[in-house]
Amino acid sequence: MSTSLSLHGRRKTRNSVMMTLCVVAAGIGLAWLALILGALVYKGVAGLSLSVFTEMTPPPGEAGGLLNAIAGSIAMTIIAIAVGTPIGVLAGTYMAEYGRFSKLTTVVRFINDILLSAPSIIVGLFVYELLVRPMGHFSAIAGAFALAILVIPVVVRTTEDMLNLVPNALREAGTAIGAPRWVVIKSVAYRAALSGIVTGILLAIARISGETAPLLFTALNNQFWSSNLNAPMASLPVTIFQFALSPYEEWQQLAWTGALIITLTVLALSIVARSLTGRREDK
Amino acid sequence: MSQMLSPDMTIAAEAAVKAKIEVKNLNFYYGQSKALKDITLSLPERSVTAFIGPSGCGKSTLLRVFNRIYELYPKQTAEGQVLLDGHNVLDRSQDLNLLRTKIGMVFQKPTPFPMSIYENIAFGVRLYEKLSKSEMDGRVEQALKRAALWTEVKDKLNASGLSLSGGQQQRLCIARTVAVKPEVILLDEPASALDPLSTAKIEELIDELQADYTIVIVTHNMQQAARVSKQTAFMYLGELVEFDRTEKIFTSPREKRTQDYITGRFG
Repeated sequence: MSTSLSLHGRRKTRNSVMMTLCVVAAGIGLAWLALILGALVYKGVAGLSLSVFTEMTPPPGEAGGLLNAIAGSIAMTIIAIAVGTPIGVLAGTYMAEYGRFSKLTTVVRFINDILLSAPSIIVGLFVYELLVRPMGHFSAIAGAFALAILVIPVVVRTTEDMLNLVPNALREAGTAIGAPRWVVIKSVAYRAALSGIVTGILLAIARISGETAPLLFTALNNQFWSSNLNAPMASLPVTIFQFALSPYEEWQQLAWTGALIITLTVLALSIVARSLTGRREDK
Repeated sequence: MSQMLSPDMTIAAEAAVKAKIEVKNLNFYYGQSKALKDITLSLPERSVTAFIGPSGCGKSTLLRVFNRIYELYPKQTAEGQVLLDGHNVLDRSQDLNLLRTKIGMVFQKPTPFPMSIYENIAFGVRLYEKLSKSEMDGRVEQALKRAALWTEVKDKLNASGLSLSGGQQQRLCIARTVAVKPEVILLDEPASALDPLSTAKIEELIDELQADYTIVIVTHNMQQAARVSKQTAFMYLGELVEFDRTEKIFTSPREKRTQDYITGRFG
């Protein structure tokens, strides 16, 4: 009896030690996140004003805004999503529907997973060699192209996963009523997986909206307003990179504000994505 | 074995109806393993036939050969003949989508499509017919009435099919199948996921539908087979053990294995 009691006591001690370690580890992780967000909000909000959204990036020592950088980011993101999403959704559809049992799918999934975790600077270098060098100059097109390459693996993965969650019984039911394969995919499988696929696209937007490295090698930066896709274009991440490293106070302030804007955007996208998946689970 | 083939001939002869589906020397394989062994039987038109047998005996597999739904999956092959009105549906030239409009299927779990009740029914109809709005409305109403669901859903046709109860969902699936005007309806354990009341409704429905359709039902529930079917096939380990009029199967089966199964000695 005494041995079993001491065994029980030791187990209890071990349990509380383990739990304490886990709580501390979780606390450390969260503390950094809180500190970063706190600093961002504290320093960023100070510079937040209407002029940030209405004025161009200023020369050193002058007041200005981030309009061209924000517009550039939005433009390149839209192009990247417009190019990357169809490719990603179609590839994911192939993997989950037509090629579910094929070897090619296994290979594509393996390569896609590598691409998913590939450092984005490598994508930047790749597009530099592929587009920027032959064209002879940096351009928004090259930037959007690099971002599109980052979008594809995210969308492929979520599309495949979400379509795989659609029960086979539903596909069989669609087929049994005489619907051809593509109609079953379009009207039954896509519909059942819609919120999940949209979530994947939102996550892809969140992913690329903070990317700096691939843009440094492709779209570079632009001090002024530019709507020419064949010319260098400003973007929020690259502007933050440049302004944060500068010795000028106005630039540093704009960098903080820009970082806050990106963070809030990503946060908003994540919340929308979450609520979409949440609604799916409610069914 | 030869003596086993004769009863189904007599069934067709006795009832003096033509065979809607004739299965001849059918073998089925999942990869290398043989799941159906030399099945031969014929199903009379406008009548309910039940397939019974323990799990894994091949009764669902046989059903899935009739509309070739098994072809969604690789490494499943059928050889032999399945004649629908004398035409071999296993023929390579058979148009699968057309075949499936003639042979509808309802599954074990209710599978409403993720769309409204109305759309669930219009979906299949639209694939092969161009109807005006009012014609389509009529078709949807008719199908829902046929499936004894109309009074329950007529005020919420735009609600999601997923919002219905399990029993209603299953009747919606039957309505959807009936709406495309098939000749044969395959029911794969249609009531096994439902409560007794919903089950009774489905059985009533089957009884009514046999006036216009040839119905094949796979069921685990022997009482259900006895209640709804005119003839019953007992299958065991991929073989058709006995096929006869339902009352005969349940009162004086020829085979000992059938006797053992229906008296609950195994399965």
